[in-house]
Formats: sequence, C-alpha cells, structure tokens
Amino acid sequence: MPLETLDRTPPPFFKQGPSALSRLVVFSALALVLMVADARFKLVQPLRAAIATVLYPAQWLALQPVQMIEDGTGYLTELKTARKTEEAARRKLAAQSQRAGQVEQLQLENERLRQLLGLRDRLTVPGTAAQVLYDATDPFSRRVVIDKGQLNGVQPGSPVMDESGVLGQVTRVYPFVSEVTLLIDRDQVIPVMNARTGQRAVAYGDATPRTGLLELRYMPVGEDVREGDELVTSGIDGVYPPGLPVAKVAAVDRRSDSSFARIYCTPLAQVQGVTYVMVLQPVTDQLRLAGVGPSATPASAPASAASAASAAAAASAPAAKARPATPASAAGKAGKPPRAGNHPKPQGGKP
Amino acid sequence: MLPRGQPLLLPASPAFIWGSLIVALMLDLLPLGRVPWMPDFLAVVLVFWSIHQPRRVGLGAGFLFGLALDVHQASLLGQHALAYAVLIYFAIMIHRRILWFSVPGQAAQVLPLFAAAHAITIVLRLIGGGLLPGWEVLLAPLLEAALWPPVSWLLLAPQRRAPNSDATRPL
Repeated sequence: MPLETLDRTPPPFFKQGPSALSRLVVFSALALVLMVADARFKLVQPLRAAIATVLYPAQWLALQPVQMIEDGTGYLTELKTARKTEEAARRKLAAQSQRAGQVEQLQLENERLRQLLGLRDRLTVPGTAAQVLYDATDPFSRRVVIDKGQLNGVQPGSPVMDESGVLGQVTRVYPFVSEVTLLIDRDQVIPVMNARTGQRAVAYGDATPRTGLLELRYMPVGEDVREGDELVTSGIDGVYPPGLPVAKVAAVDRRSDSSFARIYCTPLAQVQGVTYVMVLQPVTDQLRLAGVGPSATPASAPASAASAASAAAAASAPAAKARPATPASAAGKAGKPPRAGNHPKPQGGKP
Repeated sequence: MLPRGQPLLLPASPAFIWGSLIVALMLDLLPLGRVPWMPDFLAVVLVFWSIHQPRRVGLGAGFLFGLALDVHQASLLGQHALAYAVLIYFAIMIHRRILWFSVPGQAAQVLPLFAAAHAITIVLRLIGGGLLPGWEVLLAPLLEAALWPPVSWLLLAPQRRAPNSDATRPL
C-alpha cells in the first residue's frame, strides 16, 4: 500500500484557532451589522456593488444554459403560433402607425398652443432598451434584474416600462446590471391619475402577497371610480413622465363601515416573465440637465435642446413665452384639474 | 444498527472541495424564476463539507458565500450570511456524531439544520417588515434533506477511488 492513503495530517492538538462558537458570534455580529446598515442606513451599496461585480461572470455563465434552452424551445414552437403572433404584431403595428402619425401632428399643435399660453415645453424622455436577465428569487419582494447598469448610464430611480405600461423603478444600480423593483412590490408606490375623470390618486404595491394587484388607497367612498377605468402616471412625482399607462381598475369595493373604498387594479405591464423593457430617465434628472425656467434667454438653450422636437420651434416665439401663465390657472379654476400636459414640478415655474 | 467496517477514504483534494462549492453556487444562480420551494444546493454542499472536512470549510467560507447569494437574490445583505454561519456552526457541532449513522440517518439529522436556516431568514425578514412568503417554503428544507444521499454519494466518490489504479480497477 502506498503511503498516500494514510498521508493525512493529524489535527493539531493545541493550535486550533478560535473555537467554532466564538467564530459564530463574530460572524453573526458582522451579519447583523450588515443587515442593519443595509435596511436602515443604506450604507452597504459600495460593498454590494463590489460583490455584484465579482459575481457577474458566474451569473453570466449560469444564464447561458437557461437562455440556450429557451432559445431552443422557442425555435421548436409551431409554425402556426409564429404566424399568429406575427399577424397580431402586424395588426398592432398598423394601428399604432396611424396613431403615431396623429401623435406627430398633435405634438406640433400642442407645442404651438403651449407657446401661445406661455407654458413650458414638455420634456421628451430619452430611454434605453434593456433585457431582463432573471427574476430575483427573494420570496419577500418583487424584483427583476436587467442587463444595463452604471456603465450604460442607468441611474437609480429611473422608471422602467415594457411595451404595455409602467413596470417599476430602478432601485439599485451595479456596474453591469441593475435591479428593478416592480410596481407590485409591497414597498412600491406610484402616483396615478384616472384617465377618465382626471382624479389623482396613489397606487400602492401588493399588500397581500402573491395576488399581483395594485391598491388605490385613500379614495373616499363617494369617489367616481369604476371598474375598467384606466390609470396613467400623473407626473407630479418628478420621477415618472406623465401619461404612461399603469393599470386598469379591477374591483371597487365600497363598504359602509369605512370612509375609504377598497380599489384594486391590475397592472398593464407584464409583471411575470417580461423579457424586454425600456429604462427611461427620471424627470427630475432632465430638469436638472435642462436648467429650470422657461425664459427665452440663451441660458435656456439646453432646455430646448433636451427635447429635440421643440428645438426647431423654440426660437420662433420667444416673446410669447415670457407672458404670465394666467390661462393655465384659469383652466384649473374651471373645474378640470391640470392635465398631464402641465409641467410635472412646480419648481420649474416662472423665473 | 451502526455500519460496521468503514471504508478507508482517500484524502479530499482542496480543489475538489472548492470546485464543488462553486458548482453549487452556480446551481443557485441559475435563473429558474421565482420558485419558493427551490432547494438551496449551496447550503447542502456547505453542510456536507463542514461535516466531512471541518478543518477546510468553516464559518468564514459560508459567510462569504452567503453574502454573494444575498447580492444575487436582491435580499437583505447579510441574511443568507447569518443563516449559513449558523448552519455551519451546527454542522461542526454534530460532525463527530453524525458520521456513525447510515446515509438516510444522516439526512434525518441534517433536516432540522436546514429548517433552522430557513427559519432564520424568514424571521429576519419578518422583523424587517416582510410578509410570510407562503407554505411552499416549507418544502425547501425537506428537499434539501432529500438531496443529502445523492450529494454524499457524489462528493465522496473521488475519495472512494482505489489508491493505486490498475487494469482491473481503473477508478
């Protein structure tokens, strides 16, 4: 018998290092400190980013077989299904192209009217497309991870939407990937507006887990909300651009024992199994970039540059811009709340 | 009935130990969607090595792997790290006793460990203001204990090889 079989170093008698119990105490204390720092003080983002960067190659490698299988099964789907989806996509495209033409014209008209009224230009929102890498498996929150990070210019707080509506918000940014908290996460809140009545409200994430619904809270019982009402972003939060579709009212439960109605809404975005998303820039960010104030001085040049469509028209009516914004307040008094077109942040007011 | 006559095992190679831990981590990183009952392969392999090689794999390794998993799962940083530290501590506490039992007996003894690790994460998140994730999470420790026999067989296989391979015993 060769010697290697028995070639084991015997455990040292005396030099065994700290005992398992003392190590447990040290590591538990460290873990508790990290958890408190993470949950209460948000101090550990650099550590998280470092770990995420080290972990990225392993994540990428683990992603490959799953994506290959998905691609393979996608290749083997029936021709019929492929044709059907193509037909549906064409129909949708045709409908949208007509609408897109209208939008161009309306945008132009809107700009002229705004200049006449002396309102600020609407901001156009630049966005980057991203792919969802995986659903975060933490059973206590609803998050997905996308393949664009700090190096691609993603900023924390950016709104994220898919092809049918707002999906959520970027909450953590790593160098290569970012975490998106979905709207149905219980800690997520989005200000919305009822597209039918113009009534503003706030939609909260899923308080009871796994239903995948949003809840409109603090709506009085007498409020005019019906099933099927569409909710869009109101734009008063300075994060989400106004007018993006968010949800549809699914159920309105008016009770006599409570002064508030329970209103549940289904998100329009695909919260389960979404693949491609759009990351928009937060509105406040663009305000900062644009320089605040609708003056016609050269200082506002970047503001018009930010919205490519308005750049051409910006020079044409500088005098009209300087007029006080009385028509807007008159419209507000007339009973209709200021629509989504108004500037989302009051701080962008008159100079 | 205690098994008589333990096989004499080859020494475990450190490369194999760390390689198996990395493979288990990769299995945990597989993007299979939100499956609450998904067993934690990394926990099983960590417990295995801290029972069989407590001087090579200890609390520090478990802590670091836990941090990596926390970042991947977008959970509270330190949650898995604490769970793994406690898991490995108990594994080291029982490592002298448990190896005298048959493999199914060992699986029955590690089940409470896995259950405790999952309970720790759930309690931590409840303190942090979370909600109970549903009854499916109860399946996870059971599946992890059920993984114990195949994992033991697989990870002990390199040590069961013949010390001097020849034509009749190539492995």
